[in-house]
Amino acid sequence: MSERQILFEHVLEPGTGKAIELLKGQILRIEQVEGGQCADFNCFNLHDYKEFMHCGRTRTVHGFHPSKGTFMWSAPPRERAMLYILEDTVGRNDVLFPRCSAYVYEASYGFSVHTNCHDIQAEAQREYGLTPDDVHDSFNLFMCTGVDQDGHAFMTRQTTKAGDHVDLLALMDVLAVPNVCGADVMRTSNFALKPLKLTVFAATEADLARVPKTPVLRSQRTPKDFRNPTIKADRALRRDSSYRSEFPNTPIRITELPVELSAEEFAAFKAVKRTDIYGEDDAAALRDLLFSWWEERFLHAHAGAPAIESE
Amino acid sequence: MAENVIKLQLNQQQLELLDRTIARGVASDRAALVRLAIREYAAARQAEVTAKPNDLEPKR
Repeated sequence: MSERQILFEHVLEPGTGKAIELLKGQILRIEQVEGGQCADFNCFNLHDYKEFMHCGRTRTVHGFHPSKGTFMWSAPPRERAMLYILEDTVGRNDVLFPRCSAYVYEASYGFSVHTNCHDIQAEAQREYGLTPDDVHDSFNLFMCTGVDQDGHAFMTRQTTKAGDHVDLLALMDVLAVPNVCGADVMRTSNFALKPLKLTVFAATEADLARVPKTPVLRSQRTPKDFRNPTIKADRALRRDSSYRSEFPNTPIRITELPVELSAEEFAAFKAVKRTDIYGEDDAAALRDLLFSWWEERFLHAHAGAPAIESE
Repeated sequence: MAENVIKLQLNQQQLELLDRTIARGVASDRAALVRLAIREYAAARQAEVTAKPNDLEPKR
């Protein structure tokens, strides 16, 4: 296997972030220098910043702790795989928590100014003309989180060591923006701010061969498919008097489908129908059964996730 | 004549999914597909009950 060529190296000092042009086929390594440091991460299509990484989509497809062998997806209606997590020596990342912000440190701790991921991201992204409103939901690398029995997200300390790293392979040209999480009065980074090392490599053929295939679908739309492809440049919202709605598949029309059931079939239906939800409404209960069956039989990926061919 | 008729209320998108499923050869028509769903869904639930240990049964 050939060696990866190093293209760029940078140490992220505590309190800072860095916007990096990561081209398709390049790998960004985010590495612990001392250990115990969370990195927040944003990512934009380098040629169209309106396409950006979407934690909601990513956690739906890969769960709350995406790790090696998963993708970072862009938001609808693009929904493309932007980055592939090629390596992860820890396997504990987070897409539950938002970035920390100045508000958090003022409201909870009384700081008038404090390092925080939102402002660090905004400052790093400013190098490319983006505004604080463009910072998006953060993919939190090395952040140890979970959900308690009451449904609340929690964070705890991490056990990362020097040299632990995550390798992100760009599947399109992106602006990748990691930052050292600003939380030193929380458990996120074990109550201290430490540097992180960034390295950009050119991927080898072997690296590229490890990426599973993802589907290319008509529904992955880009501005050429938009009814309004123009980015709004002013801040106030004003109604377009020429607007006529064109919601897809509307109006929704209901058709009655009578289904004759034998005594045996009706007994089978009665044995499993959800009276707890639908009461005596057999039509609603049968519709539920029908599509629940369909999901069990034909839906092979979790929660509408795309079918991904594994290695 | 079957003893029971249930009148499903389905929208055009739901019907499209049924029709695409039928086109795959799963069933001959919409009603047959629904009947197949009942049989298979009920059998799967029955299999779950059979596989699940009976918590009420005293441990030996």
